[in-house]
Amino acid sequence: MKKIDPKQTATMLVTAALGLCAANSASAYELHPFGTNSPAVDFHGFASQGFLYSSKYNYLADNTTDGSFKFSEAGLNASMNPFPRTRITAQAFTFNVGDVGQYDVVLDYCLAEYTFSDKFGVRAGRIRRPAGIYNSIQDIDLARTSVLLPQGVYDARWRDFSSTIDGGEFFGSFSLGKGGSLAYEVYAGVINMADNGGVARNLQDGLPPAPIGSYDSINQCQIYGSQLWWNTPVNGLRFGVSGGLIPDFGYKFAVTPPFGPGPIHTEYEIPFGQASAEYLWKAWTFQAEYYTYNVSGNQFITGNIPITSSDTRTEAWYASAAYRVNKWLEVGTYYTESYANTKKSTDFTQYQKDAALSLRFDLRDWWIFKVEGHYIHGTGLLQDSQHNPSQNDKGWFMLAVKTTVSF
Amino acid sequence: MKKIFFIGGLLIAALGGSVLPALALDGVIVIANEGVPASSLTSAALKDIYTAKTTYWDGGQNIIIAVVPDKTDAGLQQASGMDASSFKTFWQRLAFSGRGQQPKKADDPAALVALVAATKGAIALVPADTAVAGVKTIAVN
Repeated sequence: MKKIDPKQTATMLVTAALGLCAANSASAYELHPFGTNSPAVDFHGFASQGFLYSSKYNYLADNTTDGSFKFSEAGLNASMNPFPRTRITAQAFTFNVGDVGQYDVVLDYCLAEYTFSDKFGVRAGRIRRPAGIYNSIQDIDLARTSVLLPQGVYDARWRDFSSTIDGGEFFGSFSLGKGGSLAYEVYAGVINMADNGGVARNLQDGLPPAPIGSYDSINQCQIYGSQLWWNTPVNGLRFGVSGGLIPDFGYKFAVTPPFGPGPIHTEYEIPFGQASAEYLWKAWTFQAEYYTYNVSGNQFITGNIPITSSDTRTEAWYASAAYRVNKWLEVGTYYTESYANTKKSTDFTQYQKDAALSLRFDLRDWWIFKVEGHYIHGTGLLQDSQHNPSQNDKGWFMLAVKTTVSF
Repeated sequence: MKKIFFIGGLLIAALGGSVLPALALDGVIVIANEGVPASSLTSAALKDIYTAKTTYWDGGQNIIIAVVPDKTDAGLQQASGMDASSFKTFWQRLAFSGRGQQPKKADDPAALVALVAATKGAIALVPADTAVAGVKTIAVN
């Protein structure tokens, strides 16, 4: 029997999604694979293509000062309820942001869910990790006004690190009577980071150039945490807190003697937390979030001998407002600040401050188009130093354009 | 931080936020597939369905929301607490993160009634003057 190649299968699914989107479909597709009275399988999909241009630095993609189309996403999902209170669903996904993603098709999520009651349910498999308003949907362009989410909180290049885990979660919601309701998700699992993912590339970027420095591998680390939302008695107003711990983040690299000690491995502990507020009022959407994490641990040489230790706290926040003018136009703005190292908060290479103005046009039920301008100060999120050898503390501009079709 | 959020919430409420009012569905009625076990819902239970807090009927059949764009926006706002745009975004977020199933769409009220009649577990808001053969009407109290 011919072995099924998961990557090839996922490629076919996403190709099908693109084809269906191109056919101007506005509705889900539904199949009854086991007969007309059997449970239906629903299909939904989307495809996005963006363009990035920046006035000074190459940001997110490697050549945005010339303009870059390396900013794409596509996904196709299927879901069905085969038994009472049971749902299974999976999504194939591909993306490219600069050199990250590289259109590799991945199994984005694939899970089975059983809901015992409104108060308690279980999901297991590969799941999207809940954190704040956008983490589980950070690459779903449909679900927001802006093209780029505040990158200090939701870095588009780090999705393999932040977006999904292999594991499971408990979820549910409780009524608080006149106090509104409380929704929770508690999860644990393993993060599957790719060697061509954003975190791995960021680590490689920090090494001496080859052949002196060489990257080896990155750990598949554990993670556990939770998300709590309080839906207040004020209609449309909710507050959230989330947090967790990555106890064993690590990677291996080498710095060739005499420039370094040879093979080095790292062991870090990363606690993280996020606070969120969202208010939907008439045609307005107001959001604000604060995110922080701490990286502490050591670097070791052969024989588990520690050579350096580090303890760095990163934080970011944003506040945003969006107004739905009519059925086809939404206007949004946000201001965000991020600090890669809070001990160096005045160093322009360690912070990035960004004011954005977005226009979203809903051209059809299945087709949206966005254009967005950014005025940015600081270079703390550039990452790719080889593409930005010269940096100063002057402000710079960025233009982001994106269009998405979906069904 | 929590204190700031709490004070902010109180301020927003004082400035114009509406503390949950009793639900009144003007101009629409609630229909469901005939196999749905419920014949009436409280306004809170209806809102729990339209905000994905309740996703299964008693007995375990999954709830499928059906909508007809543009025809029931006011009723949808009353049932879910969200305008039509926010409601659509809300369900897209759930569906594309693997946490829910997007509402099914119909082109007009008659097609919506037919969709609900043919779909196990379906529920929908339809304009009050729509002929509703083959489905059950759900009282909201």
